[in-house]
Amino acid sequence: MNDLIERYIYAVTRRLPKKQREDVSQELRGLIEDMLAERCQGRIPQEKDIRVVLTELGSPQELYAKYDENSEKCLIGPPYYAPYTFVMKIALIGTAAGLTIANLILGVMEPQANVFETLLSWLSMMWNGLLSAFAIVTLLFAFFYRKEIKLGTPFNFDDLPPVPKKQEEISKWECIAGIVFNIFFAVLFLAVPQLIFVFLGESGKRIPIFDVEAIRDTWYIIVIFAVCGITREIIALMEGRYNKKVFLTDIVTDGISAVLSIWWLTGFRLMNPEFTDSIAQIFQGDRELVVQIFSHFQSFFLVCILFALTLDLVTSAVRTLKK
Amino acid sequence: MNIEETVQGLQQELRRGTLILLVLGQLRQKTYGYSLVKKLNDSEIPMDPNTLYPLLRRLEGQGLLASEWDTGESKPRKYYKITEQGMEVLEKTRIYWKNFSEKVDELLEEAYE
Repeated sequence: MNDLIERYIYAVTRRLPKKQREDVSQELRGLIEDMLAERCQGRIPQEKDIRVVLTELGSPQELYAKYDENSEKCLIGPPYYAPYTFVMKIALIGTAAGLTIANLILGVMEPQANVFETLLSWLSMMWNGLLSAFAIVTLLFAFFYRKEIKLGTPFNFDDLPPVPKKQEEISKWECIAGIVFNIFFAVLFLAVPQLIFVFLGESGKRIPIFDVEAIRDTWYIIVIFAVCGITREIIALMEGRYNKKVFLTDIVTDGISAVLSIWWLTGFRLMNPEFTDSIAQIFQGDRELVVQIFSHFQSFFLVCILFALTLDLVTSAVRTLKK
Repeated sequence: MNIEETVQGLQQELRRGTLILLVLGQLRQKTYGYSLVKKLNDSEIPMDPNTLYPLLRRLEGQGLLASEWDTGESKPRKYYKITEQGMEVLEKTRIYWKNFSEKVDELLEEAYE
């Protein structure tokens, strides 16, 4: 009979911090005895009495929640919860779409004899891709949420920003486009770098520009690159306007991206040797400049990225200062 | 909109803070949880033990109450008593409540006249 009481108390206290558990159990035991004594007025409590008393106390989950000091804490709460689910949707849809498109192109380009195999490889890419996207977005927002709580800047009327003029606003679509672009970039380089290729002369043979294995070995750089890009967009999305915070985030994330791309494109041999060996053959008849570009493709690519990052930073600076 | 639900919700919100004030007031004398439940019940301000017990613990965590186990009697009981800090909080809140409830009453009376 007392077994029910002990089971109830255990269910309430088992997830409480260890040092509270014994104390709360003891106190609850006393309470239940008191309640039983009150109800039975001297007669011996029956199973039914215990059930009535425990019902009065409520379900163990409810009672536990009332004892739990952490019941209001969470990984990602307001004001970050809404943008979290929003960005999560974009990230998952973007990743799924990117991987599906990439696999469709791959399937047309290199039809596998075994359709089943193609399907299986698509599924496994989807699983890995969606899981990574989920993890990255969740970690980013959990980080922002924690930081916001810690900062908790005191409120001051003078700090209230003026209502943004139309041109200071950052449109939602701009941010969505930015996030999707970063995801597509990551998908392209992580999942299907062989899609960046040139045709070899008349033969029509496809030669990937990059060394697929070498690119995949540097996956962490690509991931951080994408994370920087997505962070930039999330902050812009949260702020909704050009301001100091957005600009500072741009400086930091663009800076990290720049350093990473320099490291990536000067520190690793990423080109497909077959491609570099046959440049002369591929571009025969083309102008000298084209041959030059592809002979130093890593440097050329680096210049392109750095140019894009600088452009982004300058745009952000101009739109921040133009008030 | 469900009228009953709205009324219940409002009542609950009104009770929440007031009950803490009551509990602190009652614990100027050393008391154990269930006797406080009965006391409040007799005064027709019933409070479920599943609300009171966690509340006592929370107030203790905030330093407003202190507790000790009394194992002398037939069954061990945990007694709570207000601390000095708790007294200060109680005193200030009590004065606030007195003022506040008087003003609320006044305005409500006025509105019903």
